[in-house]
Amino acid sequence: MDHEAQFALRVRQQLNLGARVEARIAARLRAAREQALAHHDAESLAGLALADHAMGRIGGARGLSLRVLLPLAILAVAFFTTYAWQQTQRAAEVEELDAQLLSSDLPIDAYLDQGFAAWLKRRASQQP
Amino acid sequence: MAQAARLATTLAAALVLFAAAPAGAAPEPDRRWAQLNAEQQELLAPLEGEWDRLEPVQRVRWIGVAKRYPKMTPVGQKRVQANMKKWAKLTPEQRKQARENYRRISKVPPEKRGDLQQQWDEYQSLPPRKKPAPAK
Repeated sequence: MDHEAQFALRVRQQLNLGARVEARIAARLRAAREQALAHHDAESLAGLALADHAMGRIGGARGLSLRVLLPLAILAVAFFTTYAWQQTQRAAEVEELDAQLLSSDLPIDAYLDQGFAAWLKRRASQQP
Repeated sequence: MAQAARLATTLAAALVLFAAAPAGAAPEPDRRWAQLNAEQQELLAPLEGEWDRLEPVQRVRWIGVAKRYPKMTPVGQKRVQANMKKWAKLTPEQRKQARENYRRISKVPPEKRGDLQQQWDEYQSLPPRKKPAPAK
């Protein structure tokens, strides 16, 4: 790469001095240059135009504020959506639990009793 | 103002993206009694008198329980309806305590806990001294 850059520098210096070439070679060089430019147009100018459009033709401080604000806004939306989703999940869990509890074979009083669960557990652990 | 519109568009796109995932599990909205459909009114009938006085959170939960009716056995469905009034009258703390106890009892392996109804009858017939002190 370094070698290439040096070579390019020399070529440029020579060209700056003014290249005296035959008309035929000059025409071929011109054709090559036009071809290269056309290629460049198609490839990168489209990308540049898109980037320019996306960031707006605003530049300066307002462009910067958009660059900072947009990710922040997206982050905020993501945060609140995640929070809402977790709340929804929790609500669904409680609903499921309530449905199971209310349809179970024990009366509500059994679940309200402060000692029954512990008694049952201790009894089960004494089973072989 | 073009950038404001662009910002709005991007935000809307982000919202749609993020909201797409949980949309399937979205909770049922709160409803007054008159806004419930016929099926919900039938399932939640025991609560008709007090429905509009319940806390919104509770109403949403009941609608959620009603949604799970089809998955229950007929006996289970009857039990839910029989338990409804009492459950609705409990304080949020009591309901929390009951859920906690339900979890603890569910964790005991079925082959070790035996018939729950029988155990509960036996527990109730114990003299007070033999009952363990309240947990925690």
